[in-house]
Amino acid sequence: MKQNPLPLRDAWIIWFVLGLVMLNYPFLHIFNKDVQLFGIPLTVLYFFIGWPVSIFVIYLFSSYMSRETKDDSQTSGEKQSSSRNEAER
Amino acid sequence: MIPLGVVATVSLLYFGLLFAVAWYADRQRAFGKSLVDNPTVYSLSLAVYCTSWTFYGSVGRAATHGIDFLAIYLGPTMIAFSWWFLLRKMVRISKEQNIVSIADFISSRYGKSAFLGAVITIFAVLGIMPYIALQLKAVARTFDLLVYPFSGANGALHFFPRFDVHFDTAFIVAMILGVFGVLFGARHLDAAERHEGLVAAIALESVVKIIAFVCAGLFVTYGLFDGFTDIFHDFLTRMPERSHLLLVGADVNTYAHWFSLTFISMMAIIFLPRQFHIMVIENCREEHIRSAMWRFPAYMFIINLFVIPIALGGLLLFNGNTQNADFFVITLPLQFGQPWLALLVFIGGFSASAGMVMVSSVALSTMILNHLIMPIILKLHSGVQSLSTLLINIKRLGIVATIFLGYLYYRLLGESTALVNIGLISFVAATQFAPSAIGGLYWRRATRRGATAGLICGFIVWFYTLLIPAFVNEGWLDQSLLDRGLFNLSIFKPTALFGLDGFDIWTHSLFWTMLLNIGCFLAFSLLSRPTTDETEQVKKFVDVYKKRVEGPQRTRITKAPSVVEFVELMAKFIGEKQAHQAITNYLGDREIDEKGSLSEQELPKLKRFTELTLAGSVGAAPARIIIDNYLSARGSRLEDIFDIFGSVNISRTASREQLSVLFDAARAVASGRNLQEVLDEILIIFTDQFKFDLCVIRILDADRQALTVRSQRGMSSKHFGESERDLTMDTYIGETFLTNQITVVNDTDFVAKHQTAEIIRREQILSFAHAPITVEGEPIGVLSAFSKSAKGIFTEEFVELFSSLAGQVGVAWRNAQQTDQLITAREQERELAIAKDIQLGLLPTKTPELPGVHIAGICLPAKEVGGDYYDYLSPQEDRLDLVVADVSGHNVGAALIMAETRTMIRARSAHHGSPKEILKELNSFFYDDLTRAELFISMFYLQYLSASREVIYASAGHPPPLWYKAAGHQCHRLDAEGLIIGVMKDFQFENKKAHFEPGDVLLLYTDGVIEAMNERNELFGEERLKTLLLENSRRSPEGMIEKILEQVRLFSGHHNFQDDVSLIVMQVAAEADLDMTSD
Repeated sequence: MKQNPLPLRDAWIIWFVLGLVMLNYPFLHIFNKDVQLFGIPLTVLYFFIGWPVSIFVIYLFSSYMSRETKDDSQTSGEKQSSSRNEAER
Repeated sequence: MIPLGVVATVSLLYFGLLFAVAWYADRQRAFGKSLVDNPTVYSLSLAVYCTSWTFYGSVGRAATHGIDFLAIYLGPTMIAFSWWFLLRKMVRISKEQNIVSIADFISSRYGKSAFLGAVITIFAVLGIMPYIALQLKAVARTFDLLVYPFSGANGALHFFPRFDVHFDTAFIVAMILGVFGVLFGARHLDAAERHEGLVAAIALESVVKIIAFVCAGLFVTYGLFDGFTDIFHDFLTRMPERSHLLLVGADVNTYAHWFSLTFISMMAIIFLPRQFHIMVIENCREEHIRSAMWRFPAYMFIINLFVIPIALGGLLLFNGNTQNADFFVITLPLQFGQPWLALLVFIGGFSASAGMVMVSSVALSTMILNHLIMPIILKLHSGVQSLSTLLINIKRLGIVATIFLGYLYYRLLGESTALVNIGLISFVAATQFAPSAIGGLYWRRATRRGATAGLICGFIVWFYTLLIPAFVNEGWLDQSLLDRGLFNLSIFKPTALFGLDGFDIWTHSLFWTMLLNIGCFLAFSLLSRPTTDETEQVKKFVDVYKKRVEGPQRTRITKAPSVVEFVELMAKFIGEKQAHQAITNYLGDREIDEKGSLSEQELPKLKRFTELTLAGSVGAAPARIIIDNYLSARGSRLEDIFDIFGSVNISRTASREQLSVLFDAARAVASGRNLQEVLDEILIIFTDQFKFDLCVIRILDADRQALTVRSQRGMSSKHFGESERDLTMDTYIGETFLTNQITVVNDTDFVAKHQTAEIIRREQILSFAHAPITVEGEPIGVLSAFSKSAKGIFTEEFVELFSSLAGQVGVAWRNAQQTDQLITAREQERELAIAKDIQLGLLPTKTPELPGVHIAGICLPAKEVGGDYYDYLSPQEDRLDLVVADVSGHNVGAALIMAETRTMIRARSAHHGSPKEILKELNSFFYDDLTRAELFISMFYLQYLSASREVIYASAGHPPPLWYKAAGHQCHRLDAEGLIIGVMKDFQFENKKAHFEPGDVLLLYTDGVIEAMNERNELFGEERLKTLLLENSRRSPEGMIEKILEQVRLFSGHHNFQDDVSLIVMQVAAEADLDMTSD
């Protein structure tokens, strides 16, 4: 089975940097306002919605990794293949 | 309030449950099953991150400072993206290297440096102390809140009438947690530092704490209020002045603070010693990381969901009073009639604290044992006996000591500070490990000096910017230090170092510690070169995913220990059972030769295995020291093998010319010609192929302590006189020899040593290299190559060839030495063999035939030649002379004297002298010779007259012969006075007489018989000989000799005698025999 040509393995860096940007000044400043939405302060809402979203992204990412490893393991042993991929990287 | 009895009973039951789970997990593991080998347990065990700081402190922080507490959990969520790469790499390395702690991890990366390990350990203990204090404080305070709600901020004191002392609650908590730590973490010493029981207990605690917290949250949100929006609405309408609590804070400095907290927590989640322990060391499978990447953040999300509602609820219900904000979680259910919920919260909080303290104390005590105590033990204790009991006890002590250090911090500093503030001090400390650990994983150039410098600088600044202010707040240090700075210099203000003010204490500290830590790490790494050990480790860390092609065996162990000895060594540290288990697994599929030992190629691997196994128990750096000490104590070491095919494999990229040089050189070495020719030949091959202007082989002249030229090519005769080099660091050659490392100067414009510079300039040399010539790893000389035509010719690859060539010179030299020694030994052996033949030829070959007596004799030299002598002479028909003598020593000198004695006796006995006259004559004849040679002779001379069966005898200090009298079946000695020959020139010996009857037996012997020794150092002695003679008196003389020799051999336990042994047995024929002969 051929590997996905899109190097999704490395996408974690994008998510990681995106997460850092969204968590910090100045991006954070957009939501850091003394207003309420649905009776809940905007800042609190921002964090408590953004947080599960990022957990969900990690979940998608990790299940993608899991699938990839399984695809590889059909041709060779699971561990070797992941380490080989790693080495090729 | 809840009665003390109820709290105590519920707590005890909970302890029991935890312990039962841990015990069950350990037991399952013994059966080969694993309770913790699944991703859920792994993710839950990571939640040891959520300590009582999360459980109580977050609420307090939210109620007083607002939502910045969230940063501590958002940071780890972000960094979780990287785990599949960063964390998995650390896990892979740790599994392969048997890493046991973060100190072990970092020090292993930098060449298994013992010093670095110790530095990290000390900093880790200092850094975690506040964190443990925090846990003790939380448990103690909540316990007091439950049981004595009115006891005040310092907690209740418990009076123990038995001991007549007062203890505060925290002390008792510390004791309980200490016992827990020992029970879960150090019940027995494990070969691999994994504690499945501990992990199982931690996972259970994580479940309990999240349930407890969510219950409290639900109670406050939906029991006391009407859901989330109700709380927010109430809060914003009743306390609008505190609405900032729901914002991050609008100015840039608060954003900086927010960023600092995120960053600190990203690092702390991995580099806090307990997190590293749980995430890396206790990890069962790499795949678990993948699901923990999202499960663990999800756990944090859930546990934080109710923090803000509880905080705001607390503020509303306690009318804005924040004095006890840290403990809203427990006071709210208590105040509003839910004591059972409060108890559940207490158990949850206790779980949070206990988990953290147990794992931290186990991780820290492992580090203390391996990096602080072990080096001392290894220094003091070259020891024989097993250390495993001592080690486990030290580890237990370490656990308790770590917890009580935390208690000390709590008593001295922690009582007035908020929980979160204490914890953050530890977080910043853990962050200091990040540069050297992450840098070491990806940056090859990172060196030990860099890591050490970075860590030390980082920690000094940490101490100065965080701990000093804490000391000042506690009143230990003068407030002026904070206000005006050290030495009244405002640039040294701990909270505004070098004038950096306006930031919060955490941002300020993080900025300076990281700047100096990373700065020193980079600068010192770039300025220093990695050692060989480090280069070796870099491959194992940075390139852990690369499949390492195991090169051909390049080393062998001289005087190698056997498999059994390796096992004994392991058993000393990890206990016998573990050691046997390890070796059985290891040997399972190895080649074992017919003698049950490993082949030479396998031994270095076994050494590595032993080191790795020990590392799993005591850490990498101590393991290396143990193995090195052990090998050097028995005089064995690893040495390089230089076989041509090995070299070919090493440098696959080497050019055809280089290979041909190595091949020709190897052929020269193997040719078996004399050393000079071989050395000359190697230089010819080398210079011709690479067009060097000058090549020299210098070998150490041990007498003059100088390196003298043994072979050279291209040297002008006028400089030959100054070619010798002293053993100093002043010349490159001397340095190469003394440091046993190759020296390369690719451009002689940059020569630092002035003595060398002069010669180089005169000879117009542009580049040169020196390689040590070694035998069994020890330098014996230096191979040098000089070029006048080009700079920079010594490329890395060429240097490899050059040092291989030096290795071959070493092999040639060793071969020559061995050949010489062999020839000398063979010559000596041959000469001795000849001497032995001659000497044995001097002993009587046949017994004289005299009617009425049977005689037998034997002489067994202890070495090739000996000093014993016996003889029978029959100068007249009816007379028989028996001589037995012993020349002191058993060397060639003794043998020569013995030969001379024999000649003399043979010549004299014909002149009818009586024994005493013969002895007197021998004495005066030999006196001068013997005195000069510092030798002497003991001798017994006896004449037997067959007609009258009379004996006349004299002794020169010889052991008295034994006389068996058939008539009374008794043994007597034939005593006679007399000094040893060669002591006094004119000595008068005495003749003595005796009358023999038929059946009597005479036994003459030398002291080799009675002085034979057994392993208890007892002598065979005259009594045993007498008994033997009595028992065997009816045997033939030959039979009797055989019997005596057999018994002496049995007694001493050796086949060979320590001293020369001679025996003569003379038997007077019984009446019947006599009749027969007369017939």
